[in-house]
Amino acid sequence: MNFSDRNLGRREVAGFAAVGVIAFLAIWYAAVWSGVTPRKFLPTPLEVLSELYRLSVEPFVGYTLLEHLVSSFKRFFYGFSLAVTIATPLGLLMAISKPVRVVVSPIFESIRFVAPIAWVPFAALWFGTGIGGPLLVIFMGAFPPMLINSFRGALYVDRKYLEAAQMLGAGPVRQMTEVLLPAAAPSIVAGLRISAGLGWQSLVGAELIVASSGVGYMMVKGQAGIQTATVMSGMIAIGLVGLIIDFSLRQLERRMGRYKETY
Amino acid sequence: MADIVFEGVQRKFVQGGKEFLAVGGVDLTVADREFVAIVGPSGCGKTTCMRMVAGLETPTSGRVLVGGKQVTQPGPERAVVFQQFALFPWKTVRGNVEFGLRTLGLPADQRRERVAQSLALMALTGYEDAYPHQLSGGMQQRVAIARAYVLQPDVLLMDEPFGALDAQTRVVMQEELVRLARTNPKTVLFITHAVEEAVYLADRVVVMSRRPGLIREIVDVKSTRIAERWDDHARIEDVMDLNSFVHMRSHIWRLLREQHLGDDQ
Amino acid sequence: MFLRTLYSGSVLILLVLAWFALTQWTGVISGARFPSPKETIDALRIIFLDGYSNGRLHEHVLQSVLLVTMGFAVSSAFGVVTGILMGANKKVEAVINPIFSLLRPIPPLAWIPLAIVWLGLENSAKILVIFVAAYVPCVINTFAGIRSLEVPQREAAAMLGLSQPVYYLEVLIPAALPMIFTGLRLSLQASWTTLVASELVGAMRGLGSILNQASQDILPPMILVGMVSVALCGWIMTQGLGFIERRAMPWRSL
Repeated sequence: MNFSDRNLGRREVAGFAAVGVIAFLAIWYAAVWSGVTPRKFLPTPLEVLSELYRLSVEPFVGYTLLEHLVSSFKRFFYGFSLAVTIATPLGLLMAISKPVRVVVSPIFESIRFVAPIAWVPFAALWFGTGIGGPLLVIFMGAFPPMLINSFRGALYVDRKYLEAAQMLGAGPVRQMTEVLLPAAAPSIVAGLRISAGLGWQSLVGAELIVASSGVGYMMVKGQAGIQTATVMSGMIAIGLVGLIIDFSLRQLERRMGRYKETY
Repeated sequence: MADIVFEGVQRKFVQGGKEFLAVGGVDLTVADREFVAIVGPSGCGKTTCMRMVAGLETPTSGRVLVGGKQVTQPGPERAVVFQQFALFPWKTVRGNVEFGLRTLGLPADQRRERVAQSLALMALTGYEDAYPHQLSGGMQQRVAIARAYVLQPDVLLMDEPFGALDAQTRVVMQEELVRLARTNPKTVLFITHAVEEAVYLADRVVVMSRRPGLIREIVDVKSTRIAERWDDHARIEDVMDLNSFVHMRSHIWRLLREQHLGDDQ
Repeated sequence: MFLRTLYSGSVLILLVLAWFALTQWTGVISGARFPSPKETIDALRIIFLDGYSNGRLHEHVLQSVLLVTMGFAVSSAFGVVTGILMGANKKVEAVINPIFSLLRPIPPLAWIPLAIVWLGLENSAKILVIFVAAYVPCVINTFAGIRSLEVPQREAAAMLGLSQPVYYLEVLIPAALPMIFTGLRLSLQASWTTLVASELVGAMRGLGSILNQASQDILPPMILVGMVSVALCGWIMTQGLGFIERRAMPWRSL
């Protein structure tokens, strides 16, 4: 029995990858042309791409695809930034101060099991169709992983760093900003990635229900008109932006790894 | 005057609901600019004693005084060199050495000067912008010592500083520390379990008993060192060849063996 | 340990008191914005006894939990198998990877409109979305788990002359089990969130439908009842999975 699964050469990988892609496209086209699926429900890949192009130049339900995307991204960015700005220092504080931890922990634990999307009704009630609605939902999605990662990162900082800082005369503020924060940074950045992913998801969910612009809204309108290609274009756009966000944060993570070896 | 005085110092620990005595009762005076090493079996409380001088732990009874003032919390006047270096991995060598100077409130140009001096002292010139993970263990510990020295502390506390280094680097560092101590004498409390190291470096060696830590004997090394002119020999292996050195080392070893014998009884 | 529960308990009690104070006793927060405890209890009674949004509370809970369990079970089975195949065989990985990487960044919630186009507002649409949500984390984590088997252990298996099935069952999969369970945990959370979202968008019954109906009727107390139910069910299911996890891996100190 062969236990060492040998690494494939680059050509081989490309070859197998091509097989996969071709098989996928073949099945897709077969489904369309054989008439198994109604044409309205499953356009060909080419039709999806051409619709994608059309949406970038012609407005749909008010805006072009790019304008919708910008609208969505703005909401995501505000909600995400708010979550990060509050959760990071709070997590650090919780790690060093027992009173803070005792007060925040039970509140956090009770709220965190509410799926972010479940906040939509209250968000709609309190903020109507303003930006506050999606912001709340995104915040509720992005906040928990950030808090957890910041807290755990600071909690597991080796005591010796804090002792060295104390020995060198650093007060609590300097200890937090110059020791705890850098030491917890890898965990915090990992939290950023998870947070961003959940935040972007929550944004999509919120836009499906309470929005008048944005990619989610665009998809809902497409779905209402059974414009499948539009819906699929929206999905592609959302996936792409999500990928870009994750990629950027992964780069950040790699830069942090510069001095990670000694942890 | 930076002397260290232990007055009836005791330290109790509570672990798993049970109380035990880490340090049984220590009375000791380290004179100004004296180099004192503490040796003893594992768990004898020697590190705890040092940490009480550092202010990282407090005695449960008795008190520790440095320069006549009771120790209550850590601070740059009692600089510590840790066994695991405890350098900040996210700061450069310069950043690490400079860290404590900012507490002392020195202006930037003075800080730069002091850092340069300290690095030169530890043969680290040229490595200012390196990160700790890029340096070998020996160099990292030199940075740690530079970080302590730059503070111009009253007292230098070293907790098995060469314990994490390989044997050869260790010897090199010992020679350097001796050179430093003889030219730039400071009050030093040096914790180690390596008897040779203690005899080579210290003026006096304190031998502690196993838990609860009590002082078993204090051996005066300095008078022998001066009488037998150990400092005439630059190399550590030449000093360690001398009969007087060997006798002293063996004597302390026998004292320690008594402590270990307690395990079999 | 006891002190900690005491502190947590006191904080929660204080919160509940604050809730009473701000809504019922002083009216600082009006009922239009956030329900008072009394209103919430009333809503709870209504949905428990008379029913709301086409069903009583337990019917909604059953509907949602059943859907999630079905979707999660099917999807995670597929996901784990895919992960094992991809992890154990680099050729399989090369074939599946491109399509998987293409579909993976699309958030499961983004599949809802498409699912509605294809399957309407039936349960099948919801199962489709749950499938997408639960499939991805399972594949990723199972894959990582299989790949985590270190070379020395693989060589030991070769030295012992193990047959393929035995190798898979007694070496590869147990080694991957911790990460497989991480994947299952993430899948379950994703399934639950996705189901609630699908039900919010359009459903006759289920916890999400409570939220939807309450939102349209502008009934804050019922919204709160819905949210708490969602949280509670999510928590219980996570605990359940944790229980299974501990049983499945007795060699781990969890």
